[in-house]
Amino acid sequence: MFLQTLITGLSIGGIYALMAVGYSLVFSVLNFSNFAHGAVIMLGAYVGLALATKLDFGFGLVLAGSVAGAGIIAVLNEKLAYSSLRRRKAPSLYLMISAMGCAVFLENLVYATIGSRFYAFPEFFGRQVVTIFGSSVSLLDVGAFLFALIAILGLHLFINRTRTGTAIRAGVCDMTMCSLMGVDLNRLIAIVFLLAGAFAGVAGVFLGIKYLVYPTMGWVTNKAYIAAVIGGLGSLPGALAGGLILGVVETFVSTYISSVLRDVFSFTLLIAFLVWRPNGLMGIDSEEKV
Amino acid sequence: MRRTLAMMVALLLLVLTGSAFAADVIKIGHTVSLTGGASMWGQSEARALDMLVKKINENGGVLGKKIEFVRYDNRNDAVESVNVARRLVSDGVAAVIGPAQSGNSIATAPVLEKAKIPMVVTTATNPYVTIDQKTEKVRPFAFRPCFIDPFQGTVAARFAITDLGARKGAILYDVGSDYGQWLAKYFEEAFTDKGGTIVAKEAFRTDELDYRAQLGKIKDLAPDVIFIPTSQKEAAMAAKQARDIGITATLLGTDNWGSPDLIDLGGSAIDGGYFVNLTDLADPDIQDFVAEYKAAFGEDPVLPNPVMAQDALIMIVEALKTAGTTDGEKLAEALANLSDIKVTSGVLTISPEDHNPLDKPAVIQQVDVANKTFKFVKKYVSVD
Repeated sequence: MFLQTLITGLSIGGIYALMAVGYSLVFSVLNFSNFAHGAVIMLGAYVGLALATKLDFGFGLVLAGSVAGAGIIAVLNEKLAYSSLRRRKAPSLYLMISAMGCAVFLENLVYATIGSRFYAFPEFFGRQVVTIFGSSVSLLDVGAFLFALIAILGLHLFINRTRTGTAIRAGVCDMTMCSLMGVDLNRLIAIVFLLAGAFAGVAGVFLGIKYLVYPTMGWVTNKAYIAAVIGGLGSLPGALAGGLILGVVETFVSTYISSVLRDVFSFTLLIAFLVWRPNGLMGIDSEEKV
Repeated sequence: MRRTLAMMVALLLLVLTGSAFAADVIKIGHTVSLTGGASMWGQSEARALDMLVKKINENGGVLGKKIEFVRYDNRNDAVESVNVARRLVSDGVAAVIGPAQSGNSIATAPVLEKAKIPMVVTTATNPYVTIDQKTEKVRPFAFRPCFIDPFQGTVAARFAITDLGARKGAILYDVGSDYGQWLAKYFEEAFTDKGGTIVAKEAFRTDELDYRAQLGKIKDLAPDVIFIPTSQKEAAMAAKQARDIGITATLLGTDNWGSPDLIDLGGSAIDGGYFVNLTDLADPDIQDFVAEYKAAFGEDPVLPNPVMAQDALIMIVEALKTAGTTDGEKLAEALANLSDIKVTSGVLTISPEDHNPLDKPAVIQQVDVANKTFKFVKKYVSVD
């Protein structure tokens, strides 16, 4: 039972990490929590679903389409809802409120146009189960976990090894200075949102395949937010570590203590981190977290 | 002056004939989910009722009057159901059909009770739809044509023990749902009573998506059958996750599974699962109805709601005939004493003690993913 719990926890944690990356990316540059990220994940899942069911695309194309779709949606979201606030140098609290508004707006838009029905992705891979020492995990979960690790590693390399990545890191340190050095801030921020959106697309497809697709599915990202806080908002390795830790802890609480107490535990963890260790495990110094 | 007078006379005449027409109809309220998650059943329910009321009216109506529906969408929401009930009261309906869900029905009952208007719910199976939970007394104006959850839980347990040969059972249920909590309890009691053992009873919270922690625990205890009294959405997810972690036990569900999208949502994971339902397309008793519905709308009815709604309407019509009036209290008394009336699903007798039907049958269906249908397995009329 211990091994089964650990495997399940890691597989849930992998998805948390994938979602937490989007929060961390935006937070690191703009210093606010983009609560519309969950809605972008939800829209990414719908894009993937449409490609899979209406156009009969295979898994690879569905994933690519969803990544592109969610990336564009995230950039549009920034252009329409945040950029004017940003230009007026509004406090990050305003950006956060705007983000919450976007989340509710997008969710209701889906309710009004597509409806509240639940949808499932077609079964791309069948149901194959891998057994390790008597504990089982589906092949899909293993694949999703590895894919999440590789994607996060790729992003890490992109940020540390490329010119654009260097510009993003410079922006994280000092936005004004960065623009004085000749970096086009609008373009930089668009790239950050494009990356966050791309990760939202991946998360959306995996969530949709694992669970179901429906308008409020984005709310599961509050767990990803906790993961990002545990790891340290703004830190990519932190998002990964936070996601895995939260996934494993939650599963152990559900199995050995009580499944009903699981969320009480998760949110207690969130509060504890915000109070005693606001920079998380790997976060860099900052003043505001919420 | 003369023109004004003529107009006033004309207006007066209009009002008089209008009210004369109004006196010629009996208004029956229908509170139903035409939009939202349960709209599939709600739409089908409305069609079946319109189909039946047309026939009744063509044959002269009831008490020499025609029946007219006042229909509002309750969006499968408890607050909206209360609003709908208030509107129906102010519209002056003689009786109400619906809602279809236990939570919405429990919310609706007090409003109609205060206005002394009888309600006949369609598929709400929780015992506390017709019994007031505070006083444990029967609600004088609430009735139903469908079976109740203790019976459903018992049927499921008996099927698991005698037909599936199960000895060890596990339960996975939603701790935030009245429906799931009570059914889990009824199943556990009946299963233990018949010689089985419940090895695990695991709960999850409403809106939770991942049950693998709970299922992992269940897997270790190796049950023969897992009882999942939830709606099709949770059932589909639980089935997928159970198969993912290598659980091979038979899955057993309740009437909320009975939605065509169970198969779309659950895919191969839900194949072969069994569940209790109120009616089945293959049930010999309802073949005339199914054929008539198909001829009218070109598709199968979305069971069980259309059948139960027709039963509800027939109950009200029969009670109107016995009472000879639309007075709420007399109508309720007639409803409570209905006996051996012919309804769409068979023959119906209402128990005056709890306003539930006596010996209401339940069917067991099996999910057949390859053919995208629910196969009829067996029918229970009563369980000891």
